Amino acid sequence: MSDPREPARAIAGTGMGGAMDLAASEAETLERAPGGPDGGAPTGKPRSLWSDAWHDLRRNPVFLVSALVILFLIFISLWPSAIASGSPLRCDLAKAQEGSQPGAPFGYDGQGCDVYTRTVYGARTSVAVGVCATLGVAVLGSVLGGLAGFFGGVWDSILSRITDIFFAIPVVLGGLVLLSVVTSSTIWPVIGFMVLLGWPQISRIARGAVITAKQNDYVQAARALGASNSRLLLRHIAPNAVAPVIVVATIALGTYIALEATLSYLGVGLKPPSVSWGIDISAASPYIRNAPHALLWPSGALAVTVLAFIMLGDAVRDALDPRLR
Amino acid sequence: MLLDVRDLHVEFRTRDGIAKAVNGVTYSVDAGETLAVLGESGSGKSVTAQAVMGILDMPPGRITGGEVLFQGRDLLKLKEEERRKVRGAEMAMIFQDALSALNPVLTVGDQLGEMFVVHRGMSKKDARARAVELMDRVRIPGAKERVRQYPHQFSGGMRQRIMIAMALALEPALIIADEPTTALDVTVQAQVMELLAELRRELNMGLILITHDLGVVADVADRIAVMYAGRIVESSPVHDIYKAPAHPYTRGLLDSIPRLDQKGQELYAIKGLPPSLLNIPPGCAFHPRCPMARDVCRTDVPPLYEVSEERGSACHFWRECLHG
Amino acid sequence: MAEPILEVRGLVKHYPLTTGVLFKKQVGSVKAVDGVDFTLHRGETLGIVGESGCGKSTVARMLVNLEKPTAGVIRYKGEDITQLTGKALKAVRRNIQMVFQDPYTSLNPRMTVGDIIGEPYEIHPEVAPKGDRGRRVQELLEVVGLNPEYINRYPHQFSGGQRQRIGIARGLALRPEIIVADEPVSALDVSVQAQVINLMERLQNEFDLSYIFIAHDLSIVRHISDRVGVMYLGRIMEIGTDEEIYDHPTHPYTQALLSAVPVPDPEAREHRERIILAGDVPSPTNIPSGCRFRTRCFKARERCALEVPALAVPAEFRLTTGPAAHDSACLFAEEKQVVPPEETR
Repeated sequence: MSDPREPARAIAGTGMGGAMDLAASEAETLERAPGGPDGGAPTGKPRSLWSDAWHDLRRNPVFLVSALVILFLIFISLWPSAIASGSPLRCDLAKAQEGSQPGAPFGYDGQGCDVYTRTVYGARTSVAVGVCATLGVAVLGSVLGGLAGFFGGVWDSILSRITDIFFAIPVVLGGLVLLSVVTSSTIWPVIGFMVLLGWPQISRIARGAVITAKQNDYVQAARALGASNSRLLLRHIAPNAVAPVIVVATIALGTYIALEATLSYLGVGLKPPSVSWGIDISAASPYIRNAPHALLWPSGALAVTVLAFIMLGDAVRDALDPRLR
Repeated sequence: MLLDVRDLHVEFRTRDGIAKAVNGVTYSVDAGETLAVLGESGSGKSVTAQAVMGILDMPPGRITGGEVLFQGRDLLKLKEEERRKVRGAEMAMIFQDALSALNPVLTVGDQLGEMFVVHRGMSKKDARARAVELMDRVRIPGAKERVRQYPHQFSGGMRQRIMIAMALALEPALIIADEPTTALDVTVQAQVMELLAELRRELNMGLILITHDLGVVADVADRIAVMYAGRIVESSPVHDIYKAPAHPYTRGLLDSIPRLDQKGQELYAIKGLPPSLLNIPPGCAFHPRCPMARDVCRTDVPPLYEVSEERGSACHFWRECLHG
Repeated sequence: MAEPILEVRGLVKHYPLTTGVLFKKQVGSVKAVDGVDFTLHRGETLGIVGESGCGKSTVARMLVNLEKPTAGVIRYKGEDITQLTGKALKAVRRNIQMVFQDPYTSLNPRMTVGDIIGEPYEIHPEVAPKGDRGRRVQELLEVVGLNPEYINRYPHQFSGGQRQRIGIARGLALRPEIIVADEPVSALDVSVQAQVINLMERLQNEFDLSYIFIAHDLSIVRHISDRVGVMYLGRIMEIGTDEEIYDHPTHPYTQALLSAVPVPDPEAREHRERIILAGDVPSPTNIPSGCRFRTRCFKARERCALEVPALAVPAEFRLTTGPAAHDSACLFAEEKQVVPPEETR
C-alpha cells in the first residue's frame, strides 16, 4: 500500500544495491516460474546486513582513521618493544624534566623516566583495562538485560529497579570509596569495579533491543512454527538485538580507558610500578610549568585513544542503522 | 487555471546512483475541480505533490526541470520567503498519518489557532474562537469543549478532520490530500471523503487527491491522472477511464482489483514488478510488464498522445487498448 | 458440505489493564475478543472482515496458539488445542500455519531465504530428513513463483510481493492443512496484490488447504472466500456464504460496511445508497450494553440496550429458505440490498 513515506521508501528501496539488480533482472513474470524465470541470470550477490554494513564502513573516512589508530594501539600493547627499546621502569634522576633529545623524543619526566617509552607501555594497560572491562560489562549486561527483556514479568521489574539503583551511584565517588580499600596493584580490582558499575548501562540497552526485536513478526512466525525459547533467543532475537550493544560497548570502551586514567590520577586506580597514562598524568601535573611535555604526551595519547573508540562507535552505529537501509 | 504543473523533473541522489522519481509530469487543476493522481508506491505521485508544495527534502531531492504555475506565478522561481507565504495561506496539504502530522504536546485548539496568529496576526482569543468555528465546520461534535484536548484524545477519523480543518483554516485556493483516508477504516473513510467533497464544493477549492485506490477515485474525482515510474501514462475525465482505459497499465489495474459485486474467477495480474527508479527501462517504462509491448515500445518513449480533447494516453498503441 | 476441520466456540480474549510497577493492580480489561463462534470446513476459505480493533487479528493469533484464550475452545478435528502443551502442541502447530501481514517485519533480516523457508524443518526434523531439506526449499520457492537460485539471498533484496511469497513458502513447508492469513495483501501494491491472491488460490487447490482469510478489504474477501464472518468489537455480527453476506445482508453493520466500500465505477456513485455511520467504534474497555453496535446503529431502539442479540438465524427468516436465512446477531434484522447487482463491464 502506498503511503506518505513513499519517496522515502522508494529511495530506501533504491538504497539496496542488491534489490535493484534483482528488480531489474527479476522477471517474476510467471505465476509459476519454471526453473529460472528470467533469461538473464541475476547478477546481485547475496548480501547480509553485516556485509552491507562493512561495505559502508570501508568507505567511511571516520571509520578508517579511528580503526587505524586502534589497530596501532593494539599493536603497541602487544609488542611495545617493537617501537620502544628501553624499559619504562628504568629511570635516571639526573635527567629529570629534561626536554626532547636524541634517544628520548618526548623527553624525561620528573623521575627521569623516558616519557616516550612510558607512553608506549602505558597503552598496554589502558587497552587491557578497556577491553577486559568492556567484555565483562557486555557479557554480564547483555545476558541479564536480554533475559529480562525476553521473559519480562517480575524479574524484569526487579532488574529494572536494580539498574536504577546503580545509575544513582556517582562513578568517581564510588571508585574513591570502593577502590581505596584495595591494596592489590594489578589491574583486576579496577576492571572489577568497572564491570560492577558498568553492566546496568549495557543491560538497559540490551533489554530495550530485545524487547524491540521480540515484537517483530518473524519472531512470532518462528513461535507459531513451534520454535523453542532458546531458538527464538539465539537465532532470531540475539542477531537482531546485538547491534546497539556493540555500538554502545565500543563507545564505552573509550570511556573506560578515560575512567581508568581518572581513577589512577586520583590514586585509587592502578598504582606504581604499573605503567599507566593516568599515573603519569598524575605524576607530571605538579611540574606542569617546568616540564609540560611530561604531561602533554600521556594526556594526548589518552585523548586520541578515547576519541578513536568513540568515533569508531559512531561509525559503526551509522553503518548498522537500519533506517538508512 | 489554478495550478499548472509543466514538465516537472525531480531526482534523488542515493548511495547507488540517481533515482529519477519524477520524469516530466504535466497536469493542471481548476478551481472547484478534483484531480485524482493515481499510482503505486514509487510512481512519483507524492514526490510531485511535495515539489508543488515546496516541502521536498533538498538534498537528497533536486528539481531538475519544469514549472509549477500557481495562479500564473512560477512557484519554483520564488524565494523561500515568498514561498512560505503561499504555503498554508494559498495552498495546503493533508497527510495520511494525522497523528504524526499533529504536534502531540499542543492542544488542537492551539495548533488550529496558530495559523491565524502567524498568518493573520490575530489575538490568541480570537484565534481560539476561529479554531472552534473550524472544528464545527469539519463536524467535530462538541467543538467548544474538545478544542482544549490533545491530538491523542481523538480517534483516527477525528484527527483526520482536524488535519482538514487546519488545511482549511486560511481558506486556501488549492488543497493537496496525500492518501487522506488510507489509514482509516472503511466506514470512517466514507465520512472523511464525503466531508472533503462537500467542503470543496462549498469553498470552490481545487483539490488534488493522491491515492492508490481506484475505488476512492471513482467516488469523488472529476479527472484522473495515472502515474507510472515518474510519468503520467493516462489522463482522462473519470467516467471515460473506467469504461474504456486507453493505457494498458490502467487497464491492468482495473482488471486486477477484485469487485465487491461479483465473485470473481482468477484475477488478472499485471506481471512483474514496478521498475527501479535507478534503472527505468528504456522506451516505455511499462514495456517489460505490458501484454501489448512490441519492438517500438522498447526504444521509443511514447509521448502523451491526444485520445480526445480531454484525454491523453502515453501508449503507442492507445487505439488498440481503447478498443480491445 | 465437507467435514468441519476447525471449530471455534465461545472464544474470549481479555487483556487485563493494570496499574503499578512492581505490585500490579487490575483496573479493567480490554475485551479484544468477546465470544466468537465459527466453523471452518475442509478445503474452504472463511473470510473474516472487520474494522481495525475489532479483534480479528487476535482471533488469528489464538488460532495459531500465539495467544492463550481467556475462555472458549478451539477444536482441531474434534480435539481442543487451547490446553495442549509440549509435543502435542508442536504436532498441532505443524497443521495450522500463519501468513503475516507485513512482509517487511515477518522475515528475519539476518537469515537467508533458504534458512527462513528451511527453519520449519529444523524445528520439526521428523518432516524431512536433513539431506532432503535443500531440495524441498528449492521446490517451495518454485511453487510460490520465485527463482530457486535465490536461496542464498537476504530478505532485503526482495520487493514486498516477493517477500510475501517467501512468507507463504515458509507457511507451506510443513504441509499444513489450515493456513491463517492475517491481512496478507494489505501491505502490497495494487498491481502485486492480484498476483499474491491468485497464488493463494492456486495453492489452495494444489495442496487441499483450508484458509482463514482475515482482511479489512471487503472486495478481496469476497473474491477469495466461500463464507464470510463480519466482526465488530470482538464479536461476529453476521456470518454466511459470500452470497448471503454481500447480496442479502440482514445486519445493519454489514449493510453500512458494504455501502461504504468505494466501488471502482463512477456510474455506481450516482445510484448507490450510502449508509454513513455516526461516530466512532467504542473503546473495547467499555463495551456498550445489549447490542454492542447500537451506539452507531441507524435503527437502534430501546430494546437494543437491554438485550444481547444472539448470533443465529433471526426469527423473521427462520421459516424461510432464501439466502436471507443466515446467522445474524440483530434484534431487528432486515434484508437490504446495498451492493448494486452485478453489471457487465
